[in-house]
Amino acid sequence: MEKETGQDALKVSRRSFLGWAAGLMGAAIAAILGGSGFGYFISPAFKKREEDWVNLGRVDQIRLGVPTKAEFTVRKRDAWMTTERRSSAWILTSNGKDFTVFDPKCTHLGCPYRWDEATKKFLCPCHAAVFDVDGSVVKGPPPRPLDRYPVKVSSGRILILPLNEQRKT
Amino acid sequence: MRAWTWINERTGAGKIWEALFARKIPEAKGWVAWLYTLGSASLFVFTIQAVTGALLAMNYVPSPDHAHDSIRFIESQVFLGSFIRGLHHWGATFMVVLVALHMLRVYFMAAYKYPREATWLVGVVLFLLVMGFSFTGYLLPWDQKAYWATMVGANIAGQAPALGSYLAKILKGGEDLGAATLARFYSLHVLVLPMTIAVAILAHLFLVVWHGISEPPLKESNKGD
Ligand code: HEM
Ligand code: FES
Repeated sequence: MEKETGQDALKVSRRSFLGWAAGLMGAAIAAILGGSGFGYFISPAFKKREEDWVNLGRVDQIRLGVPTKAEFTVRKRDAWMTTERRSSAWILTSNGKDFTVFDPKCTHLGCPYRWDEATKKFLCPCHAAVFDVDGSVVKGPPPRPLDRYPVKVSSGRILILPLNEQRKT
Repeated sequence: MRAWTWINERTGAGKIWEALFARKIPEAKGWVAWLYTLGSASLFVFTIQAVTGALLAMNYVPSPDHAHDSIRFIESQVFLGSFIRGLHHWGATFMVVLVALHMLRVYFMAAYKYPREATWLVGVVLFLLVMGFSFTGYLLPWDQKAYWATMVGANIAGQAPALGSYLAKILKGGEDLGAATLARFYSLHVLVLPMTIAVAILAHLFLVVWHGISEPPLKESNKGD
């Protein structure tokens, strides 16, 4: 055992060296383990929404100028489960190439509206709202035009992204 | 420093620190000194099991139709999921190895003798609890290996004289190994055993500190390397 006297006092003692070494190694282990665990815990915040495009059928099955109601099944991955939900949407096209797809819920309080062939308007039964064929509000309480789903055409099929939340227009 | 004085005067933190970490321990040299680290190593791995286990439980469900899917979800979808599961998986194995080695060193150094019998007895309880963790945890992935290993375990319990068939049914939560078994094992694994082992570990550590650590036997002969 050396005594810490004179110039020896400047040297790092065995005891304090080991103390620091143990402390540093401990801190490194804690940082790696703690960091990984923390990353695992907060990772949902950075997870991207999966884009599950739903196939609504062939492009040529949609009549020009007349809204067509499409029924479909949304298969959604919910962590380790896959859930299925029946849903529908209104498809509209004037040229068979560009498509507009409306969320089937009224933008007032969410009732399902229907297409009225006689007046060429969408009518909501709940509070008598009337929407034009382009989705704009003609009459009634809805605060905004009909919500639209993102849509794309791929190898002759209409694909949509039926998002659950209300999208602001 | 003023903050430290404030805390110390009100909590006795300095005294606690001295009692726990600045206490006197026997002087052991060479490889023998390493044998004294096995208990702390067990404690360290236990901490890892507790933390990684709590993290796994965030993405695991103990139900036959989803247990295995949720494990696959952890492995393939969750950020660092396979790393965290890997830590828990290997930690479980290391835990058993370390606890067994720790027990062996106590045995061969005769450190269980007066006045440390109570420390040894609590240690036996700890060993059994660790075995319980391993047995119940092994079923949770709900794959073929898990299922049949537990089946074997339940059948072994069933061999016990007289009470065997009752024991097996209690273990399985019914006649067959199924949904009730998985839920039962999960409850034991994450609620019952952790709470029990926490109490036992505290008692064990208290006794270790209170008695002080025993000298290595035959001090003269292992002075060298
Ligand atoms: C001494 C402590 C522990 C031991 C020895 C232990 C042992 C095990 C074992 C052997 C498995 C099977 C691992 C596999 O095959 O992947 C397992 C899985 C699991 N344990 Fe533990 N465990 C401990 C503590 C904990 C704690 C404290 C929790 C939660 C609070 C926990 C939660 C889980 C969960 C959720 C699983 C299923 C995930 C999986 O199998 O990967 N464990 N454990
Ligand atoms: S919900 Fe459609 S008008 Fe009120």
